[in-house]
Amino acid sequence: MEYRSQKIAYWYFAAALPLFVLQVVVGLWLAASYTFTIPQSIVNVFPFATARAFHTNLLVLWMLLGFMGGTYYIIPEETKSEIYSTNLAWFQLIALLVTGVTALVGFLFGWTQGRPLLEIPMALDFVVVIGALVFLFNVGMTMLKAKNWTAIQGTLLGGLVFLALLYLFGIPFYRNLVIDWYYWWWVIHLWVEGAWELVTAAIFAFVLMKLTGVERQVVEKWLYVEIGLFLFTGLAGTGHHYYWIGAPRYWLWIGGIFSALEPVPILLMVFDTMHHVKERKEKIVNPLTWTYAIGCAVLHFIGAGVWGFLHTLPQINYYTHGSQVTVSHGHLAFFGAYALLNLMTFYYAMPKLKGIAEYDDRRGKIGFWTMCSSMMIMGLTFGVAGVLQSYIERVLGMGYMVAQGYMRLWMGVTMVAGVFFLGGLLTTVVDLFTLRPAKVQT
Amino acid sequence: MTKKTAFRIFLIGTISSAALFLWATYDTQRQVATLSHVDKLSDQVVAGKRAFQKYNCNDCHTILGFGGYYAPDLTKVVQRVGEEGIRYRLKSPELAFADSPRKMPNQHLSDQEIKDLVAFFSWVGEINNNDWPPQDSKKRLSRGEQMMVAKVGVSPGAAVFQTKGCMNCHSLHGTGGTFGPALDKIGASLSAEEIGKYVRNPKGVNPNAKMPSQKDNLSERELDEVASFLATLK
Ligand code: HEM
Ligand SMILES: [Fe+2]
Repeated sequence: MEYRSQKIAYWYFAAALPLFVLQVVVGLWLAASYTFTIPQSIVNVFPFATARAFHTNLLVLWMLLGFMGGTYYIIPEETKSEIYSTNLAWFQLIALLVTGVTALVGFLFGWTQGRPLLEIPMALDFVVVIGALVFLFNVGMTMLKAKNWTAIQGTLLGGLVFLALLYLFGIPFYRNLVIDWYYWWWVIHLWVEGAWELVTAAIFAFVLMKLTGVERQVVEKWLYVEIGLFLFTGLAGTGHHYYWIGAPRYWLWIGGIFSALEPVPILLMVFDTMHHVKERKEKIVNPLTWTYAIGCAVLHFIGAGVWGFLHTLPQINYYTHGSQVTVSHGHLAFFGAYALLNLMTFYYAMPKLKGIAEYDDRRGKIGFWTMCSSMMIMGLTFGVAGVLQSYIERVLGMGYMVAQGYMRLWMGVTMVAGVFFLGGLLTTVVDLFTLRPAKVQT
Repeated sequence: MTKKTAFRIFLIGTISSAALFLWATYDTQRQVATLSHVDKLSDQVVAGKRAFQKYNCNDCHTILGFGGYYAPDLTKVVQRVGEEGIRYRLKSPELAFADSPRKMPNQHLSDQEIKDLVAFFSWVGEINNNDWPPQDSKKRLSRGEQMMVAKVGVSPGAAVFQTKGCMNCHSLHGTGGTFGPALDKIGASLSAEEIGKYVRNPKGVNPNAKMPSQKDNLSERELDEVASFLATLK
């Protein structure tokens, strides 16, 4: 830690981790709802829908907290100055947490906007917007005052502003369901395949540069190419969600072609990560942090690039759309790209924030490998269930519940893999909170 | 490649894609009016959409393929189970799903909300969305039907019965739903003509019938085939 104000990042990370655990616990309940028959009396008071709103909103909340913490950690080192105001950073952390908790409790009592992933009621949306504005102001002022412009800062700020702007399209009530979904994807798709990719690329470039000691000029050159390709493919690529919503037919062409290219920048990220690691100028001090970086690049590519490509062409998407195939991809992509990115940042920053040069990574390794392998298994079992569903329900034309009958076994296996995932996650969280210096080898 | 070239790649990539995207957005806004029949988007339909959101239906059911995957897609629900079928499921889910391994919560909807929801689903079902979902498509003979006829040697009527949703409610030899009566021996009491008349308009034959008319669900050919198949079950 070089600047005192970086310390605030710790509290963002500390807030994010328990929320991640809660997300996974609720996820196990969801898997159980597919595997067993939940009695009517429970369904009446705690429907699947409420649990799903919990699962997805917790995901977004902890990841945004992670990104913000990551940003507050990086900005001082990039700008070579303290954060503009740590008080604002505190205010904004508390505002976001209070809003998040209020929203979750509200869901239990049916206070919802009732749109998947954007369930937060409009009144709370405005608090979120205020929090976001405070955050952007704080980050922007730090950069403006320091005047040490870098491509990493620019990408980070650009991604964050884009992210906040897109959120606005999710707030209104739309009368027409077609228009509703059209702009719903401006939040969901343009977040994960646009704004979040920019934020991720910037954070990733920073950590990689610091770890490997590769020159800034080289890292930032690749950063430009990557974000250029991300936006080139990702913006028009939104069309892969407009095939079946009642939008004009040309979206089959635009969406199909552009989104089929979306894996290219992700693959490029894998290549340049490998390249930088090979050409490193620094010793590998904390191997687990490096493992996280490489794991993130590779699983980002598998989950988003490969799994995304598999169902992105209209000819295939016609049968897999809105099935467990989508779920398989959603889990692998979010985990590979954004959960691992955040955890990598935590493993990079937490030891420094605690003043540990070289940490004991034995527990952390177990956590990493348990999480990654159980998530891969979940991706496969969701995938098998999804292929069964696409074939039985959509190709053969048999009833929804008939297909669900065949899928039940696989949802059960997913639940078991989920228990292992929770084990790996708890190991990781405990490890991060209680990092110890490694014993010096003699 | 220099950093400057890299920056240029970034600018060109972003601007070209954004321009295409924004133009297509403008054009889509224009065309959606026709594609979604905005002239039929009444206040009641909008009230139905509000109810749909109020009860968070969308986090269990998909609609147009988006949402929770825990319950059947609702895009073509009117075509599939009929307006009466929707009302029954909304009013008394604990009865409708008594024998299903998956339950739907009773949300105690008002009669007005139920009417609005039905209007909403009727409007959604007419959206011109490139014929999705495939299982509800009228245009294609499902692969299941084709295979049963060609390979398993069942009659076309039996294939229709198995694949077009009849078995969501009715059973044969213990397989199928329990909303409606088992039809193992239906041919003993009704002729093909009588069955054909009934499935086209159940209420016309029995005013208390809960079964939705299959006229919109099946083509004329399919209706005739399924009727003559059922008449053979004695
Ligand atoms: C890290 C990046 C990504 C994340 C986190 C992500 C996540 C998701 C999620 C959660 C959904 C489901 C949304 C819903 O309907 O509720 C989804 C859908 C989809 N994603 Fe991604 N995705 C990513 C990248 C990609 C890429 C690069 C592609 C294409 C190459 C892609 C292709 C698709 C497609 C085609 C769907 C629609 C599935 C359907 O029709 O139901 N995704 N994605
Ligand atoms: Fe997408």
